[in-house]
Amino acid sequence: MTFQPTIADEANAPRRTVLPILEARSLTKQYRMPGEIVEAVRGVSLSVMPGEFVALMGPSGSGKSTLLQLLGGLDQPSSGEVLLEGEPIGRLSDSDATRLRRERTGFVFQSFNLVPLMNVVENVGLPFTIAGQDPRSHELAARIREAIALVDLTGKERHRPDQLSAGEQQRVAVARAIVTRPALLFADEPTGNLDFRTGLDILGALWRTCMERGQTIVLVTHDAKAAAYADRVFVVGDGQIQDEIVLGRRSDHAAAPLIARLALLGL
Amino acid sequence: MRGLVRYAWRALAARRARTLLTIVGISLGVGVLVAALGVDAGLDASIDRTVASMVGRADLRVTAFEETGLSAGTLEQLGAVPGVALTAPAIERKTFLASQAGRPVETAPVTILGIDASAEPRVRDLALARGVALAPSDDASALVTETLAASDGLELGDDLQILGAGAPLTVKITGVLRGDGPELGSGGRTVVVPIRTAQLLGVADGDTAPTQVGGVTRVDVVLAAGAPVDQVAASIGQALTLQPYVLSRPQDVASSLRASTLDIRATMALLAAITLFAAAILILNTMAMTVVERIRELGLLRAAGAQRSQIVRVVVTQALVLGVAGSGLGIVVGTLLAYLAAAWLRASGQLAIEGPVIGPWAVFAGIASGVGITLVAAVEPARRAAAVSPVAVLRVRSDTSRLVRAHTGWLVVVVAVIGTTAVLLLPGGATDLAIPARAVGVYVLLLVAVLLMPALLAPLARLAGLPFAVLLRLEERLARAAIRRDPGRTTLTVGALVIGLAMVVALASVAGSARVSATAWLADVVPGDEILTAIAPAPVGPGGIDTQLSSIDGVALATPIASFDLAYASTRLEAVAIRGADFLADGRLDFTAGDRTAALNALDGTGAIVLPASRAARLGVGVGDTMAVATSQGLVNLKVVGLVARSFPGRTGDAVLVGWGDATAKLGVVGADAFAVRYAPGRRADAQPQVEALARQLALTASPVSAVSGAVGDALDRLFGLLDLLALAAVVIAALGIVNTLSMDTLERVREIGMLRAAGMSRIQVWRSVLVEAGILGAMGGLVGSVTGVLVGVLLSGGGGAAGPMSVVPWPTVALAIVLGIALAMLAAAQPARLAGRVPIPMAVRGE
Repeated sequence: MTFQPTIADEANAPRRTVLPILEARSLTKQYRMPGEIVEAVRGVSLSVMPGEFVALMGPSGSGKSTLLQLLGGLDQPSSGEVLLEGEPIGRLSDSDATRLRRERTGFVFQSFNLVPLMNVVENVGLPFTIAGQDPRSHELAARIREAIALVDLTGKERHRPDQLSAGEQQRVAVARAIVTRPALLFADEPTGNLDFRTGLDILGALWRTCMERGQTIVLVTHDAKAAAYADRVFVVGDGQIQDEIVLGRRSDHAAAPLIARLALLGL
Repeated sequence: MRGLVRYAWRALAARRARTLLTIVGISLGVGVLVAALGVDAGLDASIDRTVASMVGRADLRVTAFEETGLSAGTLEQLGAVPGVALTAPAIERKTFLASQAGRPVETAPVTILGIDASAEPRVRDLALARGVALAPSDDASALVTETLAASDGLELGDDLQILGAGAPLTVKITGVLRGDGPELGSGGRTVVVPIRTAQLLGVADGDTAPTQVGGVTRVDVVLAAGAPVDQVAASIGQALTLQPYVLSRPQDVASSLRASTLDIRATMALLAAITLFAAAILILNTMAMTVVERIRELGLLRAAGAQRSQIVRVVVTQALVLGVAGSGLGIVVGTLLAYLAAAWLRASGQLAIEGPVIGPWAVFAGIASGVGITLVAAVEPARRAAAVSPVAVLRVRSDTSRLVRAHTGWLVVVVAVIGTTAVLLLPGGATDLAIPARAVGVYVLLLVAVLLMPALLAPLARLAGLPFAVLLRLEERLARAAIRRDPGRTTLTVGALVIGLAMVVALASVAGSARVSATAWLADVVPGDEILTAIAPAPVGPGGIDTQLSSIDGVALATPIASFDLAYASTRLEAVAIRGADFLADGRLDFTAGDRTAALNALDGTGAIVLPASRAARLGVGVGDTMAVATSQGLVNLKVVGLVARSFPGRTGDAVLVGWGDATAKLGVVGADAFAVRYAPGRRADAQPQVEALARQLALTASPVSAVSGAVGDALDRLFGLLDLLALAAVVIAALGIVNTLSMDTLERVREIGMLRAAGMSRIQVWRSVLVEAGILGAMGGLVGSVTGVLVGVLLSGGGGAAGPMSVVPWPTVALAIVLGIALAMLAAAQPARLAGRVPIPMAVRGE
């Protein structure tokens, strides 16, 4: 599968012959503050196709992280609907939401939050342990090795978090998020705590999972260089989707076309 | 500066729960201290009142050394000493009242106090509730105490029949004394009669009544105005040559009573200091956590120009607020605890205390200790907060807490301050250096246990986590990770628990050691299955009680035992008279030196003495040495024929053993205090009812040896119950620390918890992981506390006795301490665990 870096070129966009894996319909989220109601997300509708790498991009306070939390089932919308593989997830009970996160979604956050006492293998296998499975079993151990290889940490399986660099720790977090082969991987500013070079390593790792495993990814970022790794970019502002930019799948991840388009939009 | 003080207030208000828990923790520490001081002052006040009641206006007291009492000749010599203005002789003896129709049946003995009705009012006032005082000329009148009147249904004008050596004597009640009356240790069951009447109680039918007052138990002496006490005392020493006696002053009586309460006072002071230690750890941990939590803010203040001293002042101000509030509440808690402890001691019959006295000194000491120790504990976190570079704090994007984590080394200073406080607070009568030395030993042991924690943390956590890992592997791993996040904090959290549980185990160990000693003593020493005790010396020999008991079918052995004092090298030596052959036949007494058979046979001859090994070591004598003891017949030489591991217990240690022949012929013993009865094998059921019937007939109290053992155990249980209660205060303080620590852990781990929840961890799993963390902390505290407690117990009980330290390991209490540690920690973790389970994921994972 090869994509050309053509902006808004529908022909080069991922094929949409299948149903969206993720769909948001008229999504809103309100917070009650003393004396006022703050609307963080206002009537957002979008869809993400299987295998697609999508970025939600916008400045601080634009509502992009809140939108990601609604899409990932971490939070419940005030109104509207979120469908994961056609199934509504906006009003799940706590136990159903827990099962959803355990089995069908993966998350990478700005802070890596590895368990300090656990080594790389144990941290990556944590979702299996949480689910009551034995991560040392043949099949799961192979999946853990595969995830570690994908983020290029082979050879550091026995290292503990304090023996790893910040970038390596975040790559462990990525491996942990993908090890269960979730239908969707959500990444919220995964390079926010990293320097430029290390950040690129993380984005490269995410991109490889998309390329090599067909992993669907929703990335939240305020950085155009990070967003340039995505196939499509939703520009979020004031709690709404202000624009949708189709980059197509490209191997050079050049940010210039995206930056040019954003400039045209006055962003 | 005012702005910074306001900031300190706000910081405390922002964490109300933590602030409140810390204040409660300080109040418990101060409370136990105030209770110990209140009970101490209460005991002093009670002793002073008792001494005033006992001695009255007497300047000196001459007490008979021998059971035969002071003779008329001695009284005459005493009255003739220059400077003696008045002598008030008194006779004390225990007996029973004859049962009379229409009165409740009361089998407890009474103390008969015979006084010189003309001299007595000049020495002390016998406060009357009703009726009139004794008339000097009326030998048939009597006064009873209100307590006795109430329990036996006695009224003014009633006749009392008092049992004596001869026919019962009848007296008429002419007055009722207030309360328990003047006799300490009688339980209020006292009858005051003229001295002649008391003397007649000792005259058997057919004997001639003495024409002069003799057999006097004690004489209170009032000196002439201006006569120097020391000079008169010296003159008495030269004048009284007929009999051995003990000369004491009122302050000697008070000192003797204070000495009898020294152990309980010293233990309470020790527990108070140890509770303060636990409270200090709580404060140190709380202040360290507050600094960790606010490190960025403090860094900002530094960056904005605040000086280091200002940062120190912010933290110290917080500590001052906590210290003052905690100490104030501690005074209230301590007052309540003091009343509870006094009531407990009074109800258990351990000590005569009318009530605690919470005076200005207790209040001052409580507040000064609480505030002082809080400030000392806060110095290290304050210094650490001030020492952090603002640049470092503001640059580091995560885990700034690493910069200001608690350092346990400061505990050494805290313990030094508390140790000094404790030594200052130890009871004034603690002249025995062993008490402060043991207290210091206990502090050092506890401190070492706490300071070793960081090094032992990983293996201990793994060991303590094993039971949890079996069922909850993930939770156990996460909990261990959290525990190792901040070793200093974990050490301080577990340290308080170690201290509390160590004291619980140590007290159980000491109680167990005492119980083992008592049981071993009974097994080693007492030649019988049953002990019959007499309230007055009972006749021995042909026609005596031992002969009557031996004649009962099924009784294999009945041997007399008499306890008395010997005057040796100007000191009082507690002695017990025994028949060597009986002990030889019954296989009692474990000889550590000298030939057993020869020694016991020698006791039945003349001039032999057997010493307990401990007493021999103190006196510096050994087998073959001769000891010269003073008697009314002059010096008597006794040759040491053997040493035993244990002997009969006296007031100050094991008693020396002399033969019955020497005791009655030369040492003033007139009869047995007790008889040990051994039943023939398989005949106990038949013989026991007859023995007990004879005992009732002869006014003896029969107690099976098992009941004696049980009574010793019950007494120990009652006393140690109170001490356990005080030690538990330290455990509660530790629980408060656990609440604080786990709440802080939850706050610090909020991102990790959010990540775990995002990765599919359920609320219940998060909840369980915090509970497991608490359980591991509790198990660690229980394990280290138990080991430390056993060592402290060995230290307090002086090495664990001959059977070795392992013989006093209180295994049930060790198990209980571990279970208690785990249960209490998990209970304390309930709220933090609930909070952790409810961490909202979006908030937790929000980027910086």
